[in-house]
Amino acid sequence: MKLRLSTGPHYLSRENTQTLMLDVLIALVPTTAAGIYLFGTQAAWVLAVAVASAVVCEFLFQKLAKRPVRIMDLSAVVTGLILGLNLPSDAPLWLPAIGSAIAVLLVKELFGGLGHNFMNPAMLARGILLASWPARMSVYLMPARVLGTTNVVPAGADAVSAATALIRPQGYEVYDLLLGNIPGTIGEVCKIAILIGFLYMLFVGTVTWHIPVVFVGTVAVFTWLIGGDPLKAVLSGGLLFGAIFMATDYVTNPMLKVGQIIFALGCGILVSVIRLTRAYPEGVTYAILLMNILTPLIDRLTTRKVYGTVKKHA
Amino acid sequence: MPDKKVTMRGVFVNGILNENPIFRLVLGVCPTLAATTSATNGLGMGLAATFVLLGSNMVISMLRNLIPDKVRIPAFIVVISTFVTIVQMLIQAFVPSLYESLGLFIPLIVVNCIILARAEAFAAKNSVMHSAADGLGMGLGFTAALILLGSIRELLGNGTIFENAVFGANFEPMLLAVMAPGGFIVFGLVLGIINAVVNRVSAKKGAQA
Amino acid sequence: MKLSFKGGIHPLKELHEGKHSTQNKPIRELIPEKVCIQMDMHIGAPSEPIVKKGDRVLLGQVIANPVGGIGIPVHASVSGEVTGLVTRQQLGKKPSMCVEITNDGLDEWAELSPLGEVESAPADKIIAQVKAAGICGMGGACFPTHIKMTVPEGKKVDTVILNGAECETFLTADHQLMLEQPGKIVDGLRAIMRAMKVATGIIAIEDNKMDAVKAITEAAKGREGVQVAVLKTKYPQGGEKQLIEAITKRQVPSGGLPSDAGCAVFNVGTAAAIADAVTKDQPLISRVTTVTGSVKEPSNLRVRIGTSFQDAIDFAGGFSEEPGKIFAGGSMTGIAIPDTSVNLSKANNGIVVQNLKEAKVAEPTPCIRCARCIQACPVKLNPQRLKELCDMADLAEAKKKHVMECIVCGACSYVCPAKLELSPTFKEAKEKITARRI
Repeated sequence: MKLRLSTGPHYLSRENTQTLMLDVLIALVPTTAAGIYLFGTQAAWVLAVAVASAVVCEFLFQKLAKRPVRIMDLSAVVTGLILGLNLPSDAPLWLPAIGSAIAVLLVKELFGGLGHNFMNPAMLARGILLASWPARMSVYLMPARVLGTTNVVPAGADAVSAATALIRPQGYEVYDLLLGNIPGTIGEVCKIAILIGFLYMLFVGTVTWHIPVVFVGTVAVFTWLIGGDPLKAVLSGGLLFGAIFMATDYVTNPMLKVGQIIFALGCGILVSVIRLTRAYPEGVTYAILLMNILTPLIDRLTTRKVYGTVKKHA
Repeated sequence: MPDKKVTMRGVFVNGILNENPIFRLVLGVCPTLAATTSATNGLGMGLAATFVLLGSNMVISMLRNLIPDKVRIPAFIVVISTFVTIVQMLIQAFVPSLYESLGLFIPLIVVNCIILARAEAFAAKNSVMHSAADGLGMGLGFTAALILLGSIRELLGNGTIFENAVFGANFEPMLLAVMAPGGFIVFGLVLGIINAVVNRVSAKKGAQA
Repeated sequence: MKLSFKGGIHPLKELHEGKHSTQNKPIRELIPEKVCIQMDMHIGAPSEPIVKKGDRVLLGQVIANPVGGIGIPVHASVSGEVTGLVTRQQLGKKPSMCVEITNDGLDEWAELSPLGEVESAPADKIIAQVKAAGICGMGGACFPTHIKMTVPEGKKVDTVILNGAECETFLTADHQLMLEQPGKIVDGLRAIMRAMKVATGIIAIEDNKMDAVKAITEAAKGREGVQVAVLKTKYPQGGEKQLIEAITKRQVPSGGLPSDAGCAVFNVGTAAAIADAVTKDQPLISRVTTVTGSVKEPSNLRVRIGTSFQDAIDFAGGFSEEPGKIFAGGSMTGIAIPDTSVNLSKANNGIVVQNLKEAKVAEPTPCIRCARCIQACPVKLNPQRLKELCDMADLAEAKKKHVMECIVCGACSYVCPAKLELSPTFKEAKEKITARRI
């Protein structure tokens, strides 16, 4: 009889990196399904190429760099899928392929792999694509199909190229903004699907409410202050998708709740300012990236009182 | 101080390879990032700096026993500025298009670390001919590095090298490569690759020894 | 509203904290043929044996005298012949001096001199009686109880807390004791309160043991100053500092003792032992322990101190499958044993047998900064940062970040999705810092 000697705890939680990533993927299912339904098979191809490229790049790099191959932890799949959902549905397929390669190789693996990237890989890859091919990245198609009945959008195969709904949100009904009958990237248009994913992640404990709620809340308050329509501001563009799926990336946001709230406030203010000045078609990407960079600083400046180090009982 | 036996050729090659100012010493990064948006710009900036390096190294080496130690830096700067002014006027007169695209970065050669560093570290301690070889080697090393970076960035960001189209008409250039962040990224990647190669070579040498 | 502290986790929630198989199983008494009693079970200097090979000893007879200020005597847990003084590997780091006694099966008691009923016993003699009975903390720490009952000069204790939280996984020994002997536990609490001159005594029980809450509440009816507090089921609810925070909202200052927060905390098993010591003068010769996991008949046993793990496992029906790991205590802080020849001490509240599959160690993967460890830490440390510092061997910085406050409860390691060895690292760091006086 040979007994193993080790220190406690002797049972560990069943949760591991793979299950966490799987939960994120499950939460992305409604959004993905809605995107493919709305934009058609071209969108499915974009997503497939993005995911495949991310996984293949990670596998090849880890092999070449003689690091343990960890593609089974699904983090590359999540990165690829989120990047794909951030692309317009008519993107040529080299765009998701290059984007995922940038995300996985440049942003993640070169900085030391999972857990060591200082910015969200999918987000920075989107930023790089946006700067490199602005024409491809900032003109969005109207969904080919329409969810529910509406009198705003002409349905049919002749999709209309249009600027994001953000430019003139007043042109759309809240109803259409929620269902996704607006031009936008594959993943960002159907807000209902995004919210279902958020509820799932809250339910299984993948994320807490802090970052998404504070982020979106800040934008709403800011919009209201400058006399806009807070509801439409929240529902247009990539705000919900970014706040729920990208700002909540564990690696690149602060660890303490108070730090997360500061992070989300910063994101919200930056998005509002970028939207106000109309410097870019959408500010969510740059807002989150900038706050990603501040994350180590926020972590350093926020602390909590360790038990027993504060008050003394008289 | 280098060994007396070091040949002129050794000093020259050293500047291009072993102590390449950009990839091995990582000096003069600012003009590197600014002037590598195309291969042509890189070549122009490289040659201009080479001319200044050659001239300043020789003159400073000639004057090395006359310059008082306490004021050597201002003295070096005066010498370097002289050559920079000459090169600026020459470029403005003969290659006005290059003058347009490099703009401010030509006068900024005065404060280029490579030139001051070679004056301080080499020319002020070595003979005129050695200093000339060092200036030429360092200058050409710098030029080669700039052309390499400039070519990569021009290729990615514009689809051309020295304005010759490389890809077909369907190529959609990656604008970021010719923007400032692209400069950092490309420079970082090339530096990383070169470090990896050097490490592998020296590990092999170590294994043989 | 149920009382609780901040942070913490709910380990093995899906397995009912691992307690299902022994819950509500009556305590069975195990009388071994041989015991091997350690001289250094308690914290403090090891006791000095006063018997030699061949001596006949009676049940409850003193076999070793205390050494130093905080030592306690050790008693024979069976009657019979001393068959050797041996040095043997026990749960500690180094082998311990042990007295081996072969049971003659008579259970012949040594002479006893009880103090009388707890409410009438002379209060000033209770502490001496507790020391003479060799009682130490039975929740796991084994700190001599008479020291805890002596309030340090200049401090004021206003609350005695009995710890019946039993937040550790798998263990049901305290639970079963509370169900079977609630009166004795309340008696023990009254004895402590009288000896310490404290007016308030609170028995704290987690809300997964509502039957025990009922039994204790029943037994406490009409007893002066005794209350029952229901706690949320959460680990480490039964940690001394967490318990004080949950019940009184006070914190024990860094480096301080519970008395600095006006509290004294005792385990319910300790209280029952105190009651026996006061009313019957029976020293601590046996305790309740849970034997569970991969054994045929998971049980709550009353075992004599010094019974071997093998005897206890055999009494619980033996292994049900090939064991991979056996640990003393619950799964969060239990200590793995090298083989089953080790003996039960006064602090052993459980024996858990894991099969080969359960004993497998998970492969650590990179940290993804999910902050679960931060949420779990009951003392509000940042385990993620501390782990980085310890891995870089920057112990001075780790100390600045309060690694010494870590109670090594294992909550951070339990929740870590990357399966990093967090709390073992901190335990090692604390030992190094103490040893090197960083």
